[in-house]
Amino acid sequence: MLNVMHSNATETRSVYVHVPFCAHRCPYCNFTLIAGRPDLHEAYLDAIELELSRLPDVLEIDTLFFGGGTPTELNCQQLDRLFSIFQKKFQLIDGAEFSIEANPKDITSGLLEVIKRHGVNRVSLGAQSFDNQKLKVLGRDHQAIHIHQAMELLVPKVDSVSLDLIFGTHGESLETWHADLNQAIDLKPQHLSTYGLTYEKGTAYWKSLQSGALELTDEEVERNMYEHAIDHLTGVGFEHYEVSNFARPGFRCVHNQIYWTGKAFHAFGPGAARFVNGVREVNHRSTTKYLNDVLAGKSAVGEREELSPIDRARERLVFGLRRLEGVCIETLEEEVGFTVSEICGNEIDQLESRGLLQNQAGHIKLTRSGLLVSDSIWPRILVPNDG
Amino acid sequence: MNLKNIRNFCIIAHIDHGKSTLADRLLEYTGTVTKREMKEQLLDDMELERERGITIKARTVSMQYKHGNESYELNLIDTPGHVDFQYEVSRSLACGEGALLLVDAFQGIEAQTVANAYNAMDQELHIIPVINKIDLTHARVDEIVEEIEQTLMMGEDEIQKVSAKAGLGIDELLDAVIGAIPPPEGDVDEPLQAMVFDSHYDEYRGVITYVRVMNGTIKKGQKIRFIGTESNHEVLELGQFAPQQRPCDELHAGQVGYLICNIKSLELVNIGDTVSTANNSAEPLEGYQPPKRMVYCGLYPSDGQDFKELRDALERLAINDPSFEFEPETSDALGFGFRCGFLGLLHMEIVQQRLEQESDIDLVQTAPNVTYELTLRNGETKEIHRPQEVPDSGDIEEFRQPIVKVNFVVPADYIGAVMKLCQDRRGVQKATEYLSPTRTMITYELPLAEVIYDLHDKLKSATRGYGTMDYEVIGYFPADLVRMDILVNGKKVDALSVICDRNDADRRGRAVCKKLKEEIDRHMFEVAVQAAIGSRVIARETVRALRKNVTAKCYGGDISRKRKLWAKQREGKKRMKSIGSVDIPQKAFMAVLDTGAEKR
Repeated sequence: MLNVMHSNATETRSVYVHVPFCAHRCPYCNFTLIAGRPDLHEAYLDAIELELSRLPDVLEIDTLFFGGGTPTELNCQQLDRLFSIFQKKFQLIDGAEFSIEANPKDITSGLLEVIKRHGVNRVSLGAQSFDNQKLKVLGRDHQAIHIHQAMELLVPKVDSVSLDLIFGTHGESLETWHADLNQAIDLKPQHLSTYGLTYEKGTAYWKSLQSGALELTDEEVERNMYEHAIDHLTGVGFEHYEVSNFARPGFRCVHNQIYWTGKAFHAFGPGAARFVNGVREVNHRSTTKYLNDVLAGKSAVGEREELSPIDRARERLVFGLRRLEGVCIETLEEEVGFTVSEICGNEIDQLESRGLLQNQAGHIKLTRSGLLVSDSIWPRILVPNDG
Repeated sequence: MNLKNIRNFCIIAHIDHGKSTLADRLLEYTGTVTKREMKEQLLDDMELERERGITIKARTVSMQYKHGNESYELNLIDTPGHVDFQYEVSRSLACGEGALLLVDAFQGIEAQTVANAYNAMDQELHIIPVINKIDLTHARVDEIVEEIEQTLMMGEDEIQKVSAKAGLGIDELLDAVIGAIPPPEGDVDEPLQAMVFDSHYDEYRGVITYVRVMNGTIKKGQKIRFIGTESNHEVLELGQFAPQQRPCDELHAGQVGYLICNIKSLELVNIGDTVSTANNSAEPLEGYQPPKRMVYCGLYPSDGQDFKELRDALERLAINDPSFEFEPETSDALGFGFRCGFLGLLHMEIVQQRLEQESDIDLVQTAPNVTYELTLRNGETKEIHRPQEVPDSGDIEEFRQPIVKVNFVVPADYIGAVMKLCQDRRGVQKATEYLSPTRTMITYELPLAEVIYDLHDKLKSATRGYGTMDYEVIGYFPADLVRMDILVNGKKVDALSVICDRNDADRRGRAVCKKLKEEIDRHMFEVAVQAAIGSRVIARETVRALRKNVTAKCYGGDISRKRKLWAKQREGKKRMKSIGSVDIPQKAFMAVLDTGAEKR
């Protein structure tokens, strides 16, 4: 079991590292990244080292997560150096979770050797689909075969492997999605994340949507796909533990649950967001700005935000409810120092009476219908009517 | 000044035909204002008027002019140029003996010009037609002369041709004013009768009353009485406009000027009222009507806390505009606000704009409605200013609505389009007159309610901008009217009720429901929008419930962004009005104006 937790509310025991590199930018992606610039990799490592050196002591942590971008866009020596930089500063406790995100095509025995040597025990693979046509629509550089090859290497060697899957692409049918789910299950990952495709401003997809070259997937189709994923995956023994996340028992992502339960975490790299001592900071989103500033001895931080206690409590409730197990009212009230009615008036009761939330013995959670429209629920909790 | 050396006249014109420019030129040519002092459109001193290029409030000016060996006093009484101010126009006309009828050398005669010309003729004013902008490249002076001859039965020799902008023909025009307009009649020795034709409020001096003395003399220090409002005051100052206030000791019969009497409220000074002496008052002059508001709407602060601010702003505005009235009202849907009465739709628009400009207040406005009259079964008569006041149909003996006479002047090609427009609105055709081979005047009687909302816009689009219209209220007539209510998820939204013709209710109800369906965002639950008369539902639309609305990715970096996004969505919703947990946007409150005309 990985979820051995030593944290309390004030201690920061998780670390996120953003690796902003990708071979190219996918047409649906609006993440902080810089495509096709391997020339910046070394400068990035220097900057990360410098940013990290500003922390006072060696700290003990429970989770370490390298996300992107594509961390595996770095070559093996560079990854080796990146991991070493962190291991000098952070002491992973026994049973800690050490994750990296990876692109299927990048999984080689060389890479595997590096990550194993450093103790990576969870790999999240950007599979997206097993349908080559769909992968092409998504602008991915891999095909189904590459996922199979990667899984052959990963599954025997890594404790927990997760696959990311996307649904609701242009012209996709429920059958395509069903096939994707089945092929994923067959590869025996411990964890699955399913994401409905969204059209974000600033992406190539957004422009195509505006110009009419792409059409939004019908809401009903999307709903069927999402519900099908839930029913099918839980039917074969996965636990649906957060809006988009499914895990075999005991394999939930410990690191991500830190976010959703309002706990503290460090973060490094361009665009990385940290939450330490109740303060949220985001590093410069531009990779070049980040590199220039950090290497010139300046702060990496671009934005800073400190929420009032009541707003923190509201946020805590919202992200807590995105976890399917929901929130224990008593625990929450004790933790945040407000009662639920102080947090959001009678919204909870109203949502319950509409069948969107259920309250079982002091434990509130989304119902299925609530889950499906949950983005319409959160605004009501974050800015309650009489608040 | 001898009566025979006084000329009192006004300028009547369609918007944009150059009235203000001509007035400026007259001031300049008579030496009343030097060229250096000349600001363009000197007489329109409200900022809003300048912005819109139209005259709303009447202004007046006395010009001293040497003609031959004689000195003349020429009093220009400026008139408002919009149909909402018809009554004010008629009072201004009553104060003069002549009128310059200004016609654009390209646009020609417009509906409003005709209406005002007939109005002036009814009051036996001498009319001098003036064709303006004769220096325009596209000027079609000969055709316009023909139109004037045809419409007003006047000869070409009576017509003046000028360019106010270039200063062409102004001297000749002044000659004609002196030669053709008769001097005022009136007896200095009769008891005092002076007509109030305008007023405005000065922060330091109180109400400035504009008068034309008909008979008798008015002096400084005199005790006077406003006969209509039955209030007595002492004249602290009187004088003429030149164009600024120039005090003098007395104004006698035939003269035009102002009075300052330390009056603190414009409500006491009504246009058309008669000023006489406090004791032994004379008979009131004819034609006085208390201000009549034809259009009402609800104004609400867009978020609850601004109620007091809105009230203060309305109070400030009312000081300057006695024709606007307001009283507090409550709506289940909108909370606390005010029912406001206006002379017409333009007046409403102006007040709203001034509120937003001068007071920085965001308003929620309900759909405007006209004033109706009711006779109840028990014999009682009621005026209805808002749909909510309509009682059960069983209690109503007779429901009456205001009917207006509308004159349209349109190019001959568009007669069919205009007739269709009017028939769709239950219009009754009264007359057709050919002004020239290409232009026609069509007269219809229409319910005012059908006119005020969008007829002007519809006319413009049906005639590619060439048609013009003008209307006047001819009275209240019985009609088969009903109140149509709108229900949102079974709950009646009082602010959405409208009064409409029974025969029109089904179509109207369908149009409104359809429009509301477009305006109301989808919710987590189904929203039913229904139109009903009494308990009978006549139309229904359903705003489908959201089927899927869930963000997939939400990790460390997304949390703050998502929270802000969701909070913002909620703030946006707060500017809406929540009725039975359905969020209704402000725009929806105007949706009831959708007459479904496109589907007719």
